[in-house]
Amino acid sequence: MLTRREILRRSSVLSLAPMLPAFLTRTAIAAKPERDARILVVVQLDGGNDGINTVVPYRDEAYPRLRRELRIAGDRVCKLNDEVGLHPSMRSAADMVQDGRLAIVQGVGYPNPDRSHFRSMAIWQTASPEDPGPASNGWLGRALDAIPGRRDPSAVFIGRRELPRALRSRRAITASFADPSDLALALPADADAQHPDPNASDLSVFVQQTVAGGYATARELAEANGRRAKSKSAVRYPDGELGRQMQLVAQSILSGAAARVYYVIQPGYDTHQAQGPAHSQLLGELSRSLRAFHDDLAAAGRADEVVTLAFSEFGRRPEENGSLGTDHGTAGPVFLAGKAVRPGPIGTTPKLTDLVNGDLRWNIDFRRVYATILDRWLQIPSESILGQRFEPVPILKV
Amino acid sequence: MSSSPWSRYRPSRSNLWNLARAWTLRRRAGFAATWSELDRDLKDGPDTAIDRVLAGQCRTAGVPADFAATADLLGNAAAATSDADRLQAWWLYRMLFTPDPLTERLTLLWHDHFATSQLKVEDVESMHDQNITIRRHARGPFSELLRAMLRDPALLVWLDAPSNRKGKPNENLARELMELFTLGVGNYSERDVKEAARALTGRTVLQGRYAFRAEHHDDGEKSVLGKTARLDGDRLADVLLDQPATSRRLAWRLCREFLGEGVADDRAIAALAESLRADHLHIGRAVETILRSELFFSPRNLHARVSSPVEFVVGAVRALEQFTPPPSTLLLAEWTGKIGQALFYPPNVGGWPGGRSWLSGRTVIARANFAAALAEGRLAAGSHVETLDLRGLAARSGRSSDPLPFFHELLTGQPLDENAFRQGVKQSETAGGTADERFNRAVALVLARPEAQLV
Repeated sequence: MLTRREILRRSSVLSLAPMLPAFLTRTAIAAKPERDARILVVVQLDGGNDGINTVVPYRDEAYPRLRRELRIAGDRVCKLNDEVGLHPSMRSAADMVQDGRLAIVQGVGYPNPDRSHFRSMAIWQTASPEDPGPASNGWLGRALDAIPGRRDPSAVFIGRRELPRALRSRRAITASFADPSDLALALPADADAQHPDPNASDLSVFVQQTVAGGYATARELAEANGRRAKSKSAVRYPDGELGRQMQLVAQSILSGAAARVYYVIQPGYDTHQAQGPAHSQLLGELSRSLRAFHDDLAAAGRADEVVTLAFSEFGRRPEENGSLGTDHGTAGPVFLAGKAVRPGPIGTTPKLTDLVNGDLRWNIDFRRVYATILDRWLQIPSESILGQRFEPVPILKV
Repeated sequence: MSSSPWSRYRPSRSNLWNLARAWTLRRRAGFAATWSELDRDLKDGPDTAIDRVLAGQCRTAGVPADFAATADLLGNAAAATSDADRLQAWWLYRMLFTPDPLTERLTLLWHDHFATSQLKVEDVESMHDQNITIRRHARGPFSELLRAMLRDPALLVWLDAPSNRKGKPNENLARELMELFTLGVGNYSERDVKEAARALTGRTVLQGRYAFRAEHHDDGEKSVLGKTARLDGDRLADVLLDQPATSRRLAWRLCREFLGEGVADDRAIAALAESLRADHLHIGRAVETILRSELFFSPRNLHARVSSPVEFVVGAVRALEQFTPPPSTLLLAEWTGKIGQALFYPPNVGGWPGGRSWLSGRTVIARANFAAALAEGRLAAGSHVETLDLRGLAARSGRSSDPLPFFHELLTGQPLDENAFRQGVKQSETAGGTADERFNRAVALVLARPEAQLV
């Protein structure tokens, strides 16, 4: 476990040497990015983000009644239009809307919402509102599996947790790390492990491939060791874990990594009590990280290639609870950032005067967002990944 | 052959009592055996070997005479500080040196089941106390464990029980109680959650101790799963414990812990659930049923599970007999974290997802690096390096003529296929360093192999 001291120590080491990762590149250096190698970065807002206090319906007559303590006054929000405004700590996000780099899809959910963190997260990560079952792979894993001639590791997960379900795949390999030093191998890589036994059981094949994938990543790191970083970027990321992770993502991309998907997790959204300050801090860090990240890419001339998706497993209940917090709810907003998006709020704002059993109605099935990203952005036909056709949502200019 | 999925294992020509089976028993029901313990188990047969596991008498080496006193001393010292690293080190000390590894395994299982994280609790003493409580009830009736957990300060803080009051419900504990601790998802309604939250009102923590505040308790009538009464927390627990879904979930949980991927089918789980239900959800006896079963020793249950980081780390130290001096438990704790399982910090209330998700690029590299650090003697307390005498261990085990195959059997439970491990063999013969260093590095390579990640 990382102690706070340890985290501080590591992050200071990082800020001194933020050069790390040429290491995920497949070949010596992919000097020019491939034309169609568009990248998706996913930020998982873990715990159930309170969408109502994120995209605040400040004009809704029911809002002050449902949020007696947690209400954010209309003159404090970053107004997006006559109905909604972003949380006051999301100034950076509001600026991104202004300069055309942030879309907000409102009221995203799915039929028969599940209020369990695990079930709902599994639903979002597998894109199956019916019981996904323990064996099914993630929506991104399935998408990466479907890329012909895919270059692995085709996804990168940054964090100390287990691999998110969304990235589970049959073949595609995700590299994961929390820190550049995590990928250096202290042993001579076991050359024998490069030749999986085709007659082995499914589990053995999985283990052999994972071991081989880990060693391949380590080897690339070792090879990249000599290649020093180019100029240090001038963009300032916010302090904290998410900013640090988004910076690692930018560094990986700028170093020419082959990965098409990056995944990071911002925990802490399960705000059952004393929500106000914690939620404000989270949203501020999220907004500033998103902006720093996209500024960083823009400074390197790579802004066209990346779209960031931020989602949470559910929203929270419109009526606050008795401990200055909110309990698990249903629909919530999804964010999409990048030069390719159609900026501003999209879809109808869920009405606080029109609740079902005290919860918001959802308007847009999250799989419509996924389908749009798959078809229009990653250019992977969505129908086979999601099992059916979904009407696209007008969130992308491409 | 009897039709019960849990009929007892009898060695037969197709299911011989052999190294792979003795090895599997000691890996799954503990944290690996030394070679001489495996030898003894093989000689005495499965019944005696299992008896010893259940009785806490399976270890012959590396059990200090003053284990209990030392463990208490370390635990209390860790609890008195606010240093969670020391608490992790204390638990690893217990796993390494207890005479009764099965109880530690079950304590770890319930830590995963009632997954409480120091990240939010921020109180080393109550995390320590929860661990002691879990251990006390780990092998008894589940009802006692559950009732103790519903009074456990760390768990109550973790799930916001103190802010769940009459008229101001906080559903966090009620929901996880039903979804994770007892029934499992899909076996209750949203209304049941709301009503259960009311039943749990009044349970709180005052100055680190459990307290019941009658003035915050809603003592009105509640209706949970069709049962209507003025339920309080204990009576709510009774209602949940009585549900078939709870015994099913426990059976599933135990099978996931002790059996390989997909080994227990629905029928086997249902049968175990039924016997649990008929036996007041007695955990220890259900575990015994699993460990003595034909299913446990069936070929498809061998090498069929990814070892958890804690199993991997403690198992390697035990199998390689690193007892005097032992590696620094603080360093071992750091390694289990790097490999993906920081004790007292489960990723969330659902516990560690386990299974295949233990392995990723990063954790594979971390496992290999742990193997290197252990074999190169870099885990000694203090910062000096102690070269391990692994060739000596092979010699003492009567295998000085084929030491590398010996370590492969010890660490993977399977014979070495030298064709599949040519580079490793070459390492032990030709790479740099002294003869001992070369050999130890080859053993580290064995420990990093795909085979050694499975139990």
